[in-house]
Amino acid sequence: MTAVQLKGVRKSFGTFTAISKIDLDIKSGELVALLGPSGCGKTTTLRMIAGLEIPTDGQILFDKKDVSETAVQKRNVGMVFQRYALFPHMTVEKNVLFGLKVRGTDKAEMAQRLEDILEVVQLQQFRHRFPAQLSGGQMQRVAIARTLITNPSVLMMDEPLANLDTKLRGEMRRFIRDLQQRLGITTIFVTHDQIEAMELADRVAVIFDGNLAQYAAPDALYQQPNSIEIADFMGATNVFEAAITGKSATTAFGALSFATKAADGPAHVMLRGEAIDLHLTEPSGVQNQMQGQVTAREFFGANITYSVDCKGVRIQVTEQSRRMVDVGQDVWLTIPPDRIWIIQK
Amino acid sequence: MARESASVALNERLSPYQKLYLLLIAGFILGPFIPLIIQSFAFKWAWPDLLPGTWWLEQREKSVLPLAWDYVISPYSQVWEATLNTVFIGCVVTLIALVICLPAARVLARENFRGKPAFEFFLSMPLIVPEAAIGIALLMIFINIGLAGTYIGIIIVHLIPTIPYMIRMLTAVYQGLGRDFEEQAMILGASRWQILRMVTLPMLLPGVVAGALFTFLVSTNIFLLTFFMGQGKIVTLPTLLFSKISGGTLDASAAGITLVVTMPGIILLLITERFIKEEAFGKGFGN
Repeated sequence: MTAVQLKGVRKSFGTFTAISKIDLDIKSGELVALLGPSGCGKTTTLRMIAGLEIPTDGQILFDKKDVSETAVQKRNVGMVFQRYALFPHMTVEKNVLFGLKVRGTDKAEMAQRLEDILEVVQLQQFRHRFPAQLSGGQMQRVAIARTLITNPSVLMMDEPLANLDTKLRGEMRRFIRDLQQRLGITTIFVTHDQIEAMELADRVAVIFDGNLAQYAAPDALYQQPNSIEIADFMGATNVFEAAITGKSATTAFGALSFATKAADGPAHVMLRGEAIDLHLTEPSGVQNQMQGQVTAREFFGANITYSVDCKGVRIQVTEQSRRMVDVGQDVWLTIPPDRIWIIQK
Repeated sequence: MARESASVALNERLSPYQKLYLLLIAGFILGPFIPLIIQSFAFKWAWPDLLPGTWWLEQREKSVLPLAWDYVISPYSQVWEATLNTVFIGCVVTLIALVICLPAARVLARENFRGKPAFEFFLSMPLIVPEAAIGIALLMIFINIGLAGTYIGIIIVHLIPTIPYMIRMLTAVYQGLGRDFEEQAMILGASRWQILRMVTLPMLLPGVVAGALFTFLVSTNIFLLTFFMGQGKIVTLPTLLFSKISGGTLDASAAGITLVVTMPGIILLLITERFIKEEAFGKGFGN
């Protein structure tokens, strides 16, 4: 159980600045995702926490103790690489025991801890296999076991679900979550996939161009992004220019009243597609009505996304596939004021 | 499961054409050795006989051993001296090439620097420029500095055509060995020495063995450069063979020497085969 803190951390390689300045607080036992497009510096941040890179400026604290200059070997962290980095010339058993062997742990203790950890990751029957004879999910479990057997104070993972197929992804997601909660180990992982970040993490740190753009719980990030870039990165489709006066936002397709706090002036309104209701007849006594026409329909199985043209503006509406509305149909859209989010300029 | 067993069966059962093709290839590789072996056991084999007119076995009272082998093991033939020289030079060249190429390959595989493509092209120059050109130019220099006709001179010229191969092979191995493995070992608490001993070297071994084997074989086969630098003072198997057959006679003793020349390679291949073939190595670099 270790709290991790980054204080004004900067990292440059020659003239190239990978991280301009990052402050980050990770509570003990928390599962945090570092999310961002490739090349944004998230992997560099992870490598600095691991000790594989030394920050140019600033401090990295483990439980309020500065470890910025501590050697990797002494830092007692664990890292699961994206491609697992299992030693191909060692069996599962030897791979898992590597960390204890290099520390000179005695034989009896090694055997005991090996049994314990193989039980946790459910790999007892594969102990004598070589990595080449394992599936992707099994390799990842070996990599996790190899790391956890050394009792690291912080566990780090690089794109933990990226190399797995859809079915295995769900399985590994539950496995990692369960394990993390059972052991209460502070876990940090890196990903470029917002879905992976949301499905795994307690809190998500979004990093753009070497800067921390927002650090919040997944639902806050999704519903209340603090910039248009984050809204875009989190997959928001309905973001429109608006002028704010009081509790009303004037847009190209009409005025919307909203519940959140916002200052007067130009801004963006964000309407999440699943928060919008689609009516076939004109509803009465409901706020924020918009009239329009369905111009396209995309069917995703459980969900359907309609493109609705309201006074020349295309609004996307997502609903569960309980009905099919035909293209060309006249419809009315409504959205409750408390589901409208304003992104100030 | 069913699909898996079907594909295995498909691999094991070859069509008649595939078998014929394999036989042809085997014949193409092994065929040239057959007349050599027959020749080495012949007593008299004159044109246009398809097989020797007189076999050694029929003339045993005249010669205790087959003519070829009697000559090969006699001190006059210099075969023993040439074999020792060949193996010695081959081993030293391989070791020096390894020492030079391991660090170079590490840098070429992992770092980027200005002019890297040009440098890589430059490395393969010795394979493009004719051996005779390098040989004659170097001979002139070596005579002046007194390296002609010495082991050191021969070893230096052998490094010229072998280093390009060695660097290429080792670079490929280093590319397969991502930084991940060494960094992972570091995070797990291993010291530099432990990483080298337990991770880097074992993972590089198949490539190192393959590169060493190749270098050794190339070195033992170089004729022209050895001939120039040896100046007749140092004989190796290739120079011995060429001087033997240069008169145009292809008799039993030439056949014997030829067979001896192929020996070091075959023996080495058998020894190292198990390193290269180990299945756990073949695939599985983590993905």
